Amino acid sequence: MSNIIYVPPTPGAVKSVFPHLDCLIEAIDQLKKAGYTNFSVTSPLPRHEIEEQIYEGRPSPVRWFTLFGALFGGSSGFLVTSLTHANWPMIIPAGKPLVSVPAFIVLTFEATILFGSFFTLFGLLYHCRLPANDLQIELQDPRFSDDVFGLVVNGLGAADSKKVHHILRDAGAAEVSGMEDDEHA
Amino acid sequence: MKGLTYGAVTRDILRPLFKPSAAYFGLLGLCIAMLAVGGYAFLYQLRWGLGVAGYQPPVFWGVYITTFVFWVGIGHAGTLISAVLFLFRSKWRTGVYRASEAMTIFAVMSAALFPAIHVGRAWNAYWLFPYPNQRQLWQNFKSPLMWDVFAVSSYFTVSTIFFYIGLIPDIAAVRDRTSGMIKKLYSAMALGWRGTDRQWRHYMAAYGFFAAFATPLVLSVHSVVSWDFAMAQTAGWHSTLFPPYFVGGAIFSGCAMVITLLLPMSVAFKWQDYINVWHFEHLAKMCMLTGFILTYAYGMEHYIAWYSDNPYEWGIFVDRATGQYDWVFWTMVLCNCTIPLLWWIPALRRNYISLFLISIVINIGMWFERYNIIASSLAHQFDPMSWTYYTPTWVEMAIMVGSFGWFGMWFVMFMKVMPSVAVAEIKELIRPPLKSDEKVAAK
Repeated sequence: MSNIIYVPPTPGAVKSVFPHLDCLIEAIDQLKKAGYTNFSVTSPLPRHEIEEQIYEGRPSPVRWFTLFGALFGGSSGFLVTSLTHANWPMIIPAGKPLVSVPAFIVLTFEATILFGSFFTLFGLLYHCRLPANDLQIELQDPRFSDDVFGLVVNGLGAADSKKVHHILRDAGAAEVSGMEDDEHA
Repeated sequence: MKGLTYGAVTRDILRPLFKPSAAYFGLLGLCIAMLAVGGYAFLYQLRWGLGVAGYQPPVFWGVYITTFVFWVGIGHAGTLISAVLFLFRSKWRTGVYRASEAMTIFAVMSAALFPAIHVGRAWNAYWLFPYPNQRQLWQNFKSPLMWDVFAVSSYFTVSTIFFYIGLIPDIAAVRDRTSGMIKKLYSAMALGWRGTDRQWRHYMAAYGFFAAFATPLVLSVHSVVSWDFAMAQTAGWHSTLFPPYFVGGAIFSGCAMVITLLLPMSVAFKWQDYINVWHFEHLAKMCMLTGFILTYAYGMEHYIAWYSDNPYEWGIFVDRATGQYDWVFWTMVLCNCTIPLLWWIPALRRNYISLFLISIVINIGMWFERYNIIASSLAHQFDPMSWTYYTPTWVEMAIMVGSFGWFGMWFVMFMKVMPSVAVAEIKELIRPPLKSDEKVAAK
């Protein structure tokens, strides 16, 4: 719908387009040095340079979802198999145990993997804020899933806008729009 | 990948989408016709009962279980290629993993039909799953058949999640290049993905975890399937060799099926830059490795049967090679152990015709392997008075043909609605566009 209905630009946002990765990295670096940290980068592929530059090696919290899901799955897998057999106790010949660890380990393993995956999926969706259809309009440029990188700086005042425009252009942005040129105002 | 740009990759891979040709409809029609044949046979069986299958005492597993194991085996290569080779950072996986994953999903969907068909009263198939019921009856979780239900369903679920997560960035790329209703559909499937730094950060972490989860599943699923047999005290089945033997065979047949499917696809879609002889040679080498494991397993199970000095066990293995089922056994040996040796000649594993033909031969051989295990052991069970010769009926064969139609129909439809090569991951293989490179080139 965004190509039919005019969506106004986000107030206080400056959008830039980078055809080159090294220029984008340079722009992120310069923005951080100038104290601007409220920005989003969008790219058609994952690049470790971008993640390293923004998050400085901090691991994703998704891993805790994975760990909890695997522990939950493993324990519930063993409990379901054991408790259902205990719920209908049969006299088993030859002294075979009612709760048989070797037999139940298979389902315990499967449940570990299954719930670990479910929780990882949930963690991924939660942290990525997905499903989403309300991401700001500046990030919804179809070129960002094709061949260019995008950098959108948010929460800027009029004075900051000029400075950010300079930083982005100096770093090698092919296009900078929003606020300063005020094209949609 | 030299000379390719991000834009070219997007264009090339998305080009075949939504433009079905007459040949495409012909192929889809053939698959649907095969499915209709299977559907008719299934309805016939529902009407007249399981007696229309070729079962007779003591053989109550036949073509249905053979085909079930065959499809589960085919489903192995996709996750092996997408997950295991991802963890090993193998570059050749990138071009072929998406279509292999799709193959896995559709193969497991095909396999999942067979337990329901095999039990006869298909409408009661939900009894396989634990659910609260009035009499508080639960499944016997000590049975390998129950392990199998959970192993296959977990494998399907995790593989599907892994497949869909991998697709999201590419679905977003399709969304950005379509309009109208199609765009709306892809927008919903892309879940609002925009490739932001935040999204990619969590995505890559989660993708690694999914790969780590899927890796032991690859090894466990066919091990559990093998326990359907190995846990029984049937001569020819009761062997600790079965799990590695089955896993090796599954990867062998799965990689061969990837060659069978992707080779014509890469030629038809003119994807030589993305899937080419380099990829197929690696797949052929995977087949050569697992083919050797399989040949070793065939030899070893015969050797152990002889060495055990158990006349019943040895009798089954002698019977397989020289008895009524000898044609099945020797077809299996010819297709799985002998003909693939041709790939030791480098020119033959780089030749599209030989790659395609031998991959089909392997899949025929792998179907016969499962038939050999099931039919020969059951037909000559404990009591010689009850020995018989199991012959499949037209109903069983039609349902098997129908399963190929079912699998083919999904795969053919997938080719036209989803990118069969991973757009974002292919871009990772290309040197990123750098200003510094342009400056050097300008000098």
